[in-house]
Amino acid sequence: MTTFAIASRDELWLRGALTESRLMHGAATQTGDAIEASDARDERLVHLCESALDEAHATVGLLRDARVRVVVRAMRENDVESVETTMTIAVDGVSVVTTPSNAPADYELLHRARNGSAPLRGPIVWWNGSAAVLLHEAFGHASEHDAAPEVWPQWLSIDAPLVSRRETFRDVPLLRMKHLIAQQNDAPFALPDERVDVQLIAGGAYDPLTDVVTVDVAVSSAGPFTIRRSRAEIAASLAGASEEPVRYPGVICSREGQELYVASLAPVMITDGLL
Amino acid sequence: MTEVYRKSGRVVRYENGTFLSVSETGEAVEEGGVFQARPSAEVPAQTGVSVPHAAADVEGYVAQTLLSVRSGRIERFIASAGTATHETNGITWTEESRRVHISLVNSPLRALIDLASFDREIVQTVAHALARAGDERNAPKRIRLAPNVSAAILPPLIGELAMEQTGGGFDGRGQAIETRVVTHDAPPNWYRPGYAVRPVRAWLNIRALPFGRIDPDAPLGIALLEPVHGTMLRVLCVDGADVFPTTVDASHIAAVSRAAPVWYPYAAGSFGAEMML
Repeated sequence: MTTFAIASRDELWLRGALTESRLMHGAATQTGDAIEASDARDERLVHLCESALDEAHATVGLLRDARVRVVVRAMRENDVESVETTMTIAVDGVSVVTTPSNAPADYELLHRARNGSAPLRGPIVWWNGSAAVLLHEAFGHASEHDAAPEVWPQWLSIDAPLVSRRETFRDVPLLRMKHLIAQQNDAPFALPDERVDVQLIAGGAYDPLTDVVTVDVAVSSAGPFTIRRSRAEIAASLAGASEEPVRYPGVICSREGQELYVASLAPVMITDGLL
Repeated sequence: MTEVYRKSGRVVRYENGTFLSVSETGEAVEEGGVFQARPSAEVPAQTGVSVPHAAADVEGYVAQTLLSVRSGRIERFIASAGTATHETNGITWTEESRRVHISLVNSPLRALIDLASFDREIVQTVAHALARAGDERNAPKRIRLAPNVSAAILPPLIGELAMEQTGGGFDGRGQAIETRVVTHDAPPNWYRPGYAVRPVRAWLNIRALPFGRIDPDAPLGIALLEPVHGTMLRVLCVDGADVFPTTVDASHIAAVSRAAPVWYPYAAGSFGAEMML
């Protein structure tokens, strides 16, 4: 038998004004393939949520021109407690997902990143850890679906452990990525003169039926664009990487209707052959 | 006075191998422009939220469906039955619901089925056709759309096709849903799919008004192969003994059947009737 309890607080702020506020709590007990769930209230988890939300409010106050959604989730799964605070910050239709401590830097990135009008051709350089999204789809989700192994470059190592996760007490726990950390070891790296620099990603998807990966780029030197390639083509396109992995500000990952935060890190990476 | 919306319900759901039973009560208020939602200890007065047959109904439907579709063809299978009591604006009402979502696969094709009833026949029909599907073809000159397909295309056609909102029941703010002509104007009613979701104006339970004549010999689109994008539909088409995927533009509807339409859980409710493009 497994037990799960959760409390969550969710607020939506538009240009400094609170417009939506939610409290949710509940518990679920699973025995075999049956789950019994109710909206039972766990005072300790509710209190943990309220405390974390109070802390996040100090950061929300700094983000005056943005749409900010703050979600705090306090959970207890088989006696192990955790608290997670995420902030989705959107400015002019482009968003990042971050934590209160990283929010000021990511908010600055949102204001700094600008679309360009370079030709959409040549290699792609993935900045700000954005290659983590590409690998999240091509490696992480493929692992979740038990896809056939792919041949990745020798210089690349990817840590993406799968653990049982669920969004609320109403949901079936699924094997989902806990995080994704990509690292390079002695990878080739030479910045091409003609290239497309990717700064921010709008979203991505992996289709287990067709083995096709889709990544929607939000901000790049060539403007927004979409990549839709097979997983084998993605793996074959990885041409180089440099430096230590950096945190990409996002990923809220949706699967079976359950949205979960997945911390994602990758070095600066180059792909060739995707455009 | 601040309007309080309260909902209490219980649902039994099968989801890809797991059975869940969920009960909860919640309330929502909107005060000073701020929408607030939270669980509630206070249940609606009329609450008779017991679904003694729901678990058996879901289990029976799931077992029969799994038996009737070839192993490995079901990618995703969600079936639920529930009862909910709503209270707002001084009135209380109770609804029972059944929902099914199934995706059937025959690589590289995926057929999507969404239903508000435990209908096994349609699942078997689509599964059987999908197993025989050939290569992609150009859209036939005339094509009929089955009710489960045509229902999905109605929301994007609001204001473009003669439709009406079907009267009956209450909306998300406790207002009666009246039969109205659907136009581009702001809908008179509110859609609230859950207590924690801020209600929005929407046309509810829409249906296309019948016109024209359906050619019974035209090929039939029996299932969606992708979610609807605008007015473009990718469907599994049956033409005599041939089955193939094709993409059609549903922006011009040539006929809508006079047969009794069936309700489907698309957008804020949509009645499907056979249509011809």
